[in-house]
Amino acid sequence: MTEMVNEQNEKDVFVRAYTAMVLSRTFDKKIVMAQRQGRIGFYTPSIGQEATQVGLSMALDHDDVIFQYYRDVALMIHRGVPIEVILDQIMGNAEDESKGRQMPSHYTAKKYNFMSVQSPVATNLPLAVGAAYALRYQKKNTVVVATFGDGSTSTPDFHAAMNLAAVFNLPVIFLCENNGWAISLPTEKQTKVEISEKAAAYGMKGVKVDGNNFIETYRATMEAVERARSGKGPTLIDAISFRMGAHSTSDDPSKYRSQTVEEGSEKDPITIAEEQLKSLGYLNDSLIAKIKEESTKMVNDKFDIQEKIPAPEPGTMFDDVYAEKNWIIKEEEDDIL
Amino acid sequence: MSTMNMVQALNSTLDHIMAGDTSVILLGEDIGKDGGVFRVTEGLQAKYGEERVIDTPLVELGIVGMSVGMSLMGVKAIPEIQFQDFIYTAFDQIINQMAKMRYRSGGGYTLPMVLRTPYGGGIKGGLYHSQSGEAYFAHTAGLVVVTPSNPYDAKGLLISSVESPDPVIFLEPKRLYRAAKIEVPDEDYRVKIGEAARPMEGDDLTIITYGSMVPTVLNTVKKNNLNADVLDLRTLLPMDVNAIISSAKKTGRVVIVHEAPRTLGMGAEISALISERAIEYLYAPILRVTGPDIPFPYRLEDYYMPSEERIMKAVKRVMEFR
Repeated sequence: MTEMVNEQNEKDVFVRAYTAMVLSRTFDKKIVMAQRQGRIGFYTPSIGQEATQVGLSMALDHDDVIFQYYRDVALMIHRGVPIEVILDQIMGNAEDESKGRQMPSHYTAKKYNFMSVQSPVATNLPLAVGAAYALRYQKKNTVVVATFGDGSTSTPDFHAAMNLAAVFNLPVIFLCENNGWAISLPTEKQTKVEISEKAAAYGMKGVKVDGNNFIETYRATMEAVERARSGKGPTLIDAISFRMGAHSTSDDPSKYRSQTVEEGSEKDPITIAEEQLKSLGYLNDSLIAKIKEESTKMVNDKFDIQEKIPAPEPGTMFDDVYAEKNWIIKEEEDDIL
Repeated sequence: MSTMNMVQALNSTLDHIMAGDTSVILLGEDIGKDGGVFRVTEGLQAKYGEERVIDTPLVELGIVGMSVGMSLMGVKAIPEIQFQDFIYTAFDQIINQMAKMRYRSGGGYTLPMVLRTPYGGGIKGGLYHSQSGEAYFAHTAGLVVVTPSNPYDAKGLLISSVESPDPVIFLEPKRLYRAAKIEVPDEDYRVKIGEAARPMEGDDLTIITYGSMVPTVLNTVKKNNLNADVLDLRTLLPMDVNAIISSAKKTGRVVIVHEAPRTLGMGAEISALISERAIEYLYAPILRVTGPDIPFPYRLEDYYMPSEERIMKAVKRVMEFR
């Protein structure tokens, strides 16, 4: 591990990573529960993908730019996005950065260099390529990351982005959060080859990594970051995990699969992290219990506070379509409000 | 002043914009070495280099998607889609990324980009080199849609589009690329987005048109000595409603001419606006002279394009309506 992080702070770095994973898991369970209680409209949990997302985040600098998808809460938490910001978006309240316009799980966090999440999968990938082109043109030594699921690899946008990034030799990391399922379709029905092997067809480096292991994912991402920063071009990382939850709160996975990874089992990425950090002497059972307890309290407290924030004012729905409202929107606003 | 056609006006304006702003990048298929299939970007790569005038792989959705990503990082991207007919693989990027970025980020992320593309028939291009898809874009909140009908407006609208804080679809009527040479000022000037032109003034009827049909309409009016108010919309989203309504109120008789198919074309919206705001001023039904609701035919394209005869047929109907 010493080749990647300074030895003196390795413990801090790894414990912080673990804490982010636990906080994300706690958060997801809370939101899924809140949805069942009718307090939240919809949600796409990251349960099972925490190690992938945190391992990725650990390798990035603040200035690096992320075109994330709708299942990246652990990534956001580890990068320092406050829980309040995530809650505001899910609740669509007046404090939300996108002013309650997007359904839950479609975050924007500009201060943290998170772009704005769209629903149509993989359409963020060509954007990441263009951003990387622009940043290189501006002589910034910045890496651009696009995250997406395994289903996205079937889209034309994936193909376009991979090809363009390779042709222009851009500092992009394509991180496939391969959780095994695109709603009901298993990866083996999505594609005939290993996702990492697709990289070869574009002339870029492809890496398959155990996405349940945050240290392995961190290591693979660090290598990709170094390749990108030294002008050696893009990397496709296929991080294998398991979507332990449903696709979304509107989905019932029992219709199409059996649960193969139970929470707390030896395949759970959080259990794996606990074993790793215990054997390194960085964590013990009481510290683990404390982190979990603090996470639960923090999520519950913040949820109750943010829930009191009202919806955005109705007039705000007519803002930000353009820099200035055109006559059409002004007229429709007057008519409706 | 220089005398130039629309291609020359666009080319010299792009040249001027790139010289003055190093954050501008052009990208598209064959726009660099080849100067674009219509030569609009001729010579620009030689002058500004391959990094700023990018010959891209053949992928429209990638060209638009990359442009969105570039613009998010503060580069002003001016992508070219070689023919508007080829834009549909990029439709998702245009509708779901380009048009919605400002809104969905609460105004945090903005996209000052200009997507240029030649459109329309009249060059013997058949089904896939002739389409007029402007209504698809004008139906999408978040986009600005403009189309010049002459070299002067091409320059002024392009400068306004590049300066616009909103993403612009810049539709170039390819039939008019080299149709006429006119005087174009050498210095910068702007044609305001959202403002129609009135190339002819008259009192008997209003003819509303834009893009490639403007010269056809003007020739028809001159040849037949019509006392017509002619509006060249120039901006299709948002349209100049005041110009449309004030002219309709003045003449009480309206004909709309466009090359795109009739059903749910721009004419439908113009007609609805007039019906809602000025129906009591009308002496006759609002008529549309448009391309038919068929794919664009190759050999028989002259029958497809609205002609002087078809325009006059509509003019006679509204003038003689009792």
